Amino acid sequence: MTAKTWRRARQAVQILAAVLFVYLLLGTRQGLPTFLPHDLFFRLDPLVGVAAMLAGRRWIAALALGLATLALAVLAGRAWCGWLCPLGAALDWTRPRLSREGDPRGNWRSAKHGLLLVILFAALLGNLTLLVLDPLTILFRTMAAAVLPAVNALLTAAESALYAIGPLQRPLEWVDRVLRGAGLVGGEPAFQQGVVLALVFAGVLALNAVRPRFWCRYLCPLGALLGLVSKVSFLRHHADADACVACGKCARACPTGTVDPARGYAADPSECTLCLDCAAVCPTNAVAFRWHLVPAGWREYDPSRRQALLSLGVAVAGVGLLRAAPAARRDHPRLIRPPGARENGLLDKCIRCGECMKVCPTSGLQPSLDVAGLEGLWTPVLVPRLGYCDYSCHSCGQACPTGAIPPLSLDDKRRAVIGVAYIDENRCIPWADGADCIVCEEMCPVPDKAIQLDVQTVARPDGTVAEVRRPRVIRERCIGCGICEYKCPLNGEAAIRVYAP
Amino acid sequence: MNEIDRREFIRRMILLALGATAASSGLARCGSPSVPTAAPTIPPLATATPMSTLPAATAAGPTPTGQPPAPATGDAYLAVARGDSPTALVQAAIRAIGGIERFVKPGADVIIKPNICVAYHGPEYAATTNPEVVGALVALCLGAGARRVRVMDNPFGGSPEAAYARSGVADAVKAAGGQMEIMSEMKYATAPIPQGKDLKQIRIYRDALDADVFINVPIAKDHGLARLTLGMKNLLGVIWDRPAMHRNMGQRIAELTSLVRPTLTVVDAVRILMANGPTGGNLADVKQTNTIIASADIVAADAYATSLFGLTPTDVSYIPAAAKMGLGTMDLAGVRVEEIGV
Repeated sequence: MTAKTWRRARQAVQILAAVLFVYLLLGTRQGLPTFLPHDLFFRLDPLVGVAAMLAGRRWIAALALGLATLALAVLAGRAWCGWLCPLGAALDWTRPRLSREGDPRGNWRSAKHGLLLVILFAALLGNLTLLVLDPLTILFRTMAAAVLPAVNALLTAAESALYAIGPLQRPLEWVDRVLRGAGLVGGEPAFQQGVVLALVFAGVLALNAVRPRFWCRYLCPLGALLGLVSKVSFLRHHADADACVACGKCARACPTGTVDPARGYAADPSECTLCLDCAAVCPTNAVAFRWHLVPAGWREYDPSRRQALLSLGVAVAGVGLLRAAPAARRDHPRLIRPPGARENGLLDKCIRCGECMKVCPTSGLQPSLDVAGLEGLWTPVLVPRLGYCDYSCHSCGQACPTGAIPPLSLDDKRRAVIGVAYIDENRCIPWADGADCIVCEEMCPVPDKAIQLDVQTVARPDGTVAEVRRPRVIRERCIGCGICEYKCPLNGEAAIRVYAP
Repeated sequence: MNEIDRREFIRRMILLALGATAASSGLARCGSPSVPTAAPTIPPLATATPMSTLPAATAAGPTPTGQPPAPATGDAYLAVARGDSPTALVQAAIRAIGGIERFVKPGADVIIKPNICVAYHGPEYAATTNPEVVGALVALCLGAGARRVRVMDNPFGGSPEAAYARSGVADAVKAAGGQMEIMSEMKYATAPIPQGKDLKQIRIYRDALDADVFINVPIAKDHGLARLTLGMKNLLGVIWDRPAMHRNMGQRIAELTSLVRPTLTVVDAVRILMANGPTGGNLADVKQTNTIIASADIVAADAYATSLFGLTPTDVSYIPAAAKMGLGTMDLAGVRVEEIGV
């Protein structure tokens, strides 16, 4: 096979990996797919695996597959980044054709090592907040909580507008069935901070314009981890000095800018993604990928003792500050965690991947901004006004890759108390206006109804007397699912609200 | 053919889209009083069917759509079948009121609307319509030559897919040759309610009004506000904004009924839910009554069903409200009720 053919093969594998990622993303919904684990990419992510096991102080069998990715790095360096990473594929496909060569001045490449070390030290201290910067969590979270809901909203808007046109009705019904059947949930998923998540993702893509694969070169903590392992990789880039005519084409073609003219067009195996672009453009076939047994040398941007100590300091200081934050002292009254997650200590197990939010059929599970404090940024919280915890569903526990949300059986989930409902009698229609409204009682899914109706004769605000059914919460029956709050017909804040237990 | 560049292509596409939108909005407004809403409006359907003769006690308003021809002599006005086999009960009850051919003509487009309100429990909990009853109706309609039979509801608890599956209805319908339809938002439009006093218009699933035949298959259960959820209450499943119906519920449900006018109502009382409705979850609240009630008159069917709970029609606010609007009769003494043991 020629170098060009190998590059074609790499591009094909990248496309397949991206298609698989999207397939699993769409398949992440009630009744998870059986063909492959829906969280395959997170299982393959050694950064997520190592950090989650360090922070949770336990072995997570499902994440052992990350060892395969590490083994791949020992074998062939950062091939993951060039061949398999779906975020890398997105970056390759959105790369501007003309971009500047060389690195900015200073050791920018060491930033990713700093980030990696801070993540690992923080994980040792039981904190996983910075996993919001793992490339796969970025991609999955953005897709689940920003891109797909936006696509869904646009689809609904387009359908509703076009459905008025008679001849289009049949085709639209078909399109609707196919698309929504393929994983766009019905209902209308809507996520707080969807725009913020989209902007973060757009920023990662936009940095391509500064340098190709800016994220992978300078920032990616997973790339940093795989890069360090790649120091001892067997299969490496090799520029044959005899055949090389120093035309510089390979250095210009290298997306991570690691082919260095000043070093005889050699590449650093911990920066090379084995994309083979260099080999494909070489006019004299001087570039080859060969087996090496000697570890690669340390470069000026690789981690130093000083950087390690600095990262440790940053991690200690950061975790200390987070532990001294109000959220660590007292739970926010509206911190409603997914079923079983509160008792399970979600914070030191959650990798912020967004699987639970994608799988939640009501999109009630939302990425937290302030309710869980800064430490709990983008961890899942139930926001009942946006969606309720469906009594017929236990998908979040099934979908969670790390067990942060325990995989409760449906029966156990139905008994798991995630919150408690309180009625605001100043706003509740029967209490405040003396008019009948029993929506919360009607909706309550608990077999014995955690909301009871008391028939009372009351004076209405206008002075008349009427018989009204007033709702009352029987708290020992309430599981906090929030469907009462979700369905409360009042505008704005509901008159019945669920608080943390 | 001369080539056009991308910019020109996009410009033409936008013009085309604008034109189509303008044309379609013009079409949609054609012939209907323009209602100031963003949603497209459905013109009130003019019907070609002759005015059906409801019992003399009622004063029929505008001709409802899909009204069946008046029962032939010898047919019952309302049939009640009792026995062990839900399928046999459905067949016997419908035979007694004139047979499925009275309601479903060859080539008809049929919608069956069971009550699949939540995805929480299997059919033994009596929160959702008995799947055998729905399956039997699908089979009858197809046997009468229906072009297609669609079954749908819009659950308030859980996703439609999960509710269709857990209720057992999806399997039963598939086995009988019908299709489950997920009610997509695009198919809702605002329709005026000519007889409406409290509700002048409502956002409703178009097909509920457009289908040739609309068969309403409620399960009889307890309900906190309405006392019971029966045939008319089951129609809440085809409108968009259900919470709004909880104010002045009796009158509003009656006005909704005046718009939808099901062709046929079959009340599933194989099992009924006596308490903690509409969601259920306690087998102790379920009563096995092994009964099917069928009538072309939704008010009569609901009125009869109240007796299963030891109540009278006036205990359920929407029944007298609908009778007063002339949508049917709740006085069963004046009509022919046939009781069948199967």
